[in-house]
Amino acid sequence: MTTVVMDALTDACQPITAPGSDPELVAALVAWAVRPRRTLEAVRRVLAAGPAPDTDSHGARLRSHVLPQLDPDDLRAARAPVEQWRRHGCRVAIVGDPGYPARLGDGWPHTDGPVLLVSLGVLATSVPTVAVVGSRSATSYGIGIAAWLAEAAGAAGAHVLSGGAVGIDAAAHRAALGTRGGTSVVLGCGHDIAYPRGHARPGGLFDAVRAQGGALLSEQFPQVPPRAGVVRARNRIVAGLADVVVVVEGSSRSGALLTATTASDRGRPVLAVPGDVRAPGSVAPNRLLAEGGHPCTEPQDLLDALGTSRSDPGGDPDTDRPLSVLPASVHAALAAAWPRALSVDLLLERAGLGAGAVLSALTRAQVAGEVVEGPDGLVLCRKPGGADTPRESGRHGS
Amino acid sequence: MGRALAIVRGVALLGLSPREVRVEATSSPGLPVLRLVGLPDAAVREAGDRVRAAITRHGLRWPGERLVVNLAPADLPKVGSAFDLPLAVAVLAATGQVPVEVAAGCWACGELGLDGSVRPVAGQLPLVAGAGQLGAQRLLVPAAAAAEAALVSGPELLPVADLGEVVELLTGRRRPRHVAPLTVRSTAPGPDLAELRGQPLARRAVELAAVGGHHLLLSGPPGCGKSMLADRLPGILPELSTDQALEVAALHSVASLRSPDQPLERRPPLRAPQQVVSAAALVGGGSGVPRPGEVSLAHHGVLVLDELLEIPRPVLDALRQPLERGEVVLTRSRARVSYPARVLLVAATNPCPCGFLGDPRRSCTCRPDRVERYRARLSGPLLDRLDLQVSLRPLDHRDLLDAPTGEPSAVVADRVAAARQLATERSGPGALNRDAPTPQLRRRTDASALTGLAGALQRVGGSARAFDRTLRVARTIADLAGDEIIRGAHVEEAVAYRLPAIRGAA
Repeated sequence: MTTVVMDALTDACQPITAPGSDPELVAALVAWAVRPRRTLEAVRRVLAAGPAPDTDSHGARLRSHVLPQLDPDDLRAARAPVEQWRRHGCRVAIVGDPGYPARLGDGWPHTDGPVLLVSLGVLATSVPTVAVVGSRSATSYGIGIAAWLAEAAGAAGAHVLSGGAVGIDAAAHRAALGTRGGTSVVLGCGHDIAYPRGHARPGGLFDAVRAQGGALLSEQFPQVPPRAGVVRARNRIVAGLADVVVVVEGSSRSGALLTATTASDRGRPVLAVPGDVRAPGSVAPNRLLAEGGHPCTEPQDLLDALGTSRSDPGGDPDTDRPLSVLPASVHAALAAAWPRALSVDLLLERAGLGAGAVLSALTRAQVAGEVVEGPDGLVLCRKPGGADTPRESGRHGS
Repeated sequence: MGRALAIVRGVALLGLSPREVRVEATSSPGLPVLRLVGLPDAAVREAGDRVRAAITRHGLRWPGERLVVNLAPADLPKVGSAFDLPLAVAVLAATGQVPVEVAAGCWACGELGLDGSVRPVAGQLPLVAGAGQLGAQRLLVPAAAAAEAALVSGPELLPVADLGEVVELLTGRRRPRHVAPLTVRSTAPGPDLAELRGQPLARRAVELAAVGGHHLLLSGPPGCGKSMLADRLPGILPELSTDQALEVAALHSVASLRSPDQPLERRPPLRAPQQVVSAAALVGGGSGVPRPGEVSLAHHGVLVLDELLEIPRPVLDALRQPLERGEVVLTRSRARVSYPARVLLVAATNPCPCGFLGDPRRSCTCRPDRVERYRARLSGPLLDRLDLQVSLRPLDHRDLLDAPTGEPSAVVADRVAAARQLATERSGPGALNRDAPTPQLRRRTDASALTGLAGALQRVGGSARAFDRTLRVARTIADLAGDEIIRGAHVEEAVAYRLPAIRGAA
């Protein structure tokens, strides 16, 4: 039954992504898609009662039988969002549509993939995808680890997916920008809403993601604000699109737990980064570990779960990391504190250099992505020293 | 008894700019009333009663005729009690108790008591200075304000303590007494930077602010020393020149913050209004002729705004114009006045509503979206103007015991003065790097540093407005290093003071 429904939907949805499609029909399909429960019943009824199924395609029958049953008010209401999506240049895909990621629609309607998936830019579906998720109120430890993992995954060719929020999400997106795998965002609101404001402003993170070929995805109408329910529902899309989910930091009520649960329901591997047992931000990953999640202590764990080999014989030019831009004493002080953050004042004290020299070096390092700053200070993005991370060996000369 | 027209001159202030007011009096047959015309405010209208009481109590004669006193030009609003003295002199001249031709060569400003005593008024110093600028030859001033008035070169001063003395002086029965000008106080020792332990980053930022006049944002949990730092900033700024000190004293005089017998202060002023400050109190306001606000009272000095994010947004936005133009322009229906407001703004804020974000000892209890909204209260344009932004860490007990005591203010002040000298050589006395013109900045910048700055700001997401402002901070850093050219390292350090805002907004 499910496959029949899927085929029918697939046929019916073709016009949505086809250029020059009839706006009336697109609006009709959207109106139809936003009432999933009623729609499914309608579809099932049509398919059950339809005469001579072999003479008629599912799509045509849906068009002739389902659309007339739609409420005209629903149809009218659906026109405005369709027009807004057009202005943004968004693609609209309905579950079953070829433009709808197969991974996400797998098992629908018994799985909870969204009926609509609106994307600005094209999501890479053929590459392995990792979701790096975690708390908004991240510590610099979490931010550093997220950046470390995301950058390594991106460099190994995996696409990095996250929710575009501040904290862990932003660190993961930023670190994966410009890597081979790239990064995409699943928004917790509609495409018209600038949220989080700092990321959505011109020149912000979202523009950078788009400029690097990444996609901004959402299941919501353009004007939907980031309500709590909407944001949490977004997490199931992150989980559904990813081959592997890694949870970096999160409280006991974190949305990252929801992402992890959804992913494991779908049989996808869930990794968790062990955290300080006393910190409230470590509750989520430590609970996942207790429940059988795999520990993620370095990027290789993530790549192993993904089944991607890092030692790509082709040799990737951007795996040749530049040498550290920091003066030796500054780097040594940060490396000694790693993975904990060091405040600038303590760094100045320990590095034994003038404030000017240290600050200018830190700017260089932040621009180069070697150091990130969290609320509690500065931390190296990558694990210092050579032994555990072969790709980085010899970089720092320490 | 002649029907002479008596004229005495007084001064009205529009902001700090003086306007000549002719006080004309004449008597005519009729009932003994005083008619006061020419846009007087309530305080000036009451002057009639004060003058009448003062004249009669002093044994002088009040005419049994109708008196008309005109304050010209009639369209200029006249406020306050400074017209009491010229009014009294005009009446005395119109009634023949003082020679009309002597009164005509006189300027006067001061308030009268009912007993005939002459007292200083609010704004006495700018009034005296204004009379000098307008070309006054002889000026009657309250004796209590004579020493202050003597600081202003110009008119011959005739200090008077009461109306009797006025008559004696103007009829030639007494010679004017000699006045010694007020002393100018060299900087009295204030709180010293040596008392502040640790905090090397904030110390550096404060020093840069003192050199270049760049506005400063200190962010940190309660009790980490934000206000200690701000209080010590005037101590490392160069002393005010006499002209600057007079300008500051004039503003404080208008706001009734100084009495005329206080010595002239060379230490830059420090104003720290509370966070419940209103827009009118901050930038100036009031009906009629607006009064200066805190931002003008801190002219040539430091304006501290503690708990910046607790100040309502419209009040903060009112600060943008004075910060950009160095003056406040207040427009009212009857007058448009401007007050100078070249201040160094030191803003202090908690990192989040509870204050403990990033504190290693206590965890922050704020929800992330509340932190975001808290920071969003600082409007982008104002945030862009805070060129030096540093986070202060709380001191732990180890720091309090072990951290080296800092450099004393005097040492830092010497470095600041030396670096400011370089800016003076480039752009003239009093020039601050905060206002350095862009072409001059770029001409003395290493080409690779310019491209590096553009690249860095693009990577971290700084606004276009931030470019020149960051370059000005780099100019200050280069000056402090004694370097004529802005180099890459200077620019990078300057960017570091802007990163917290960019990250915070992201």
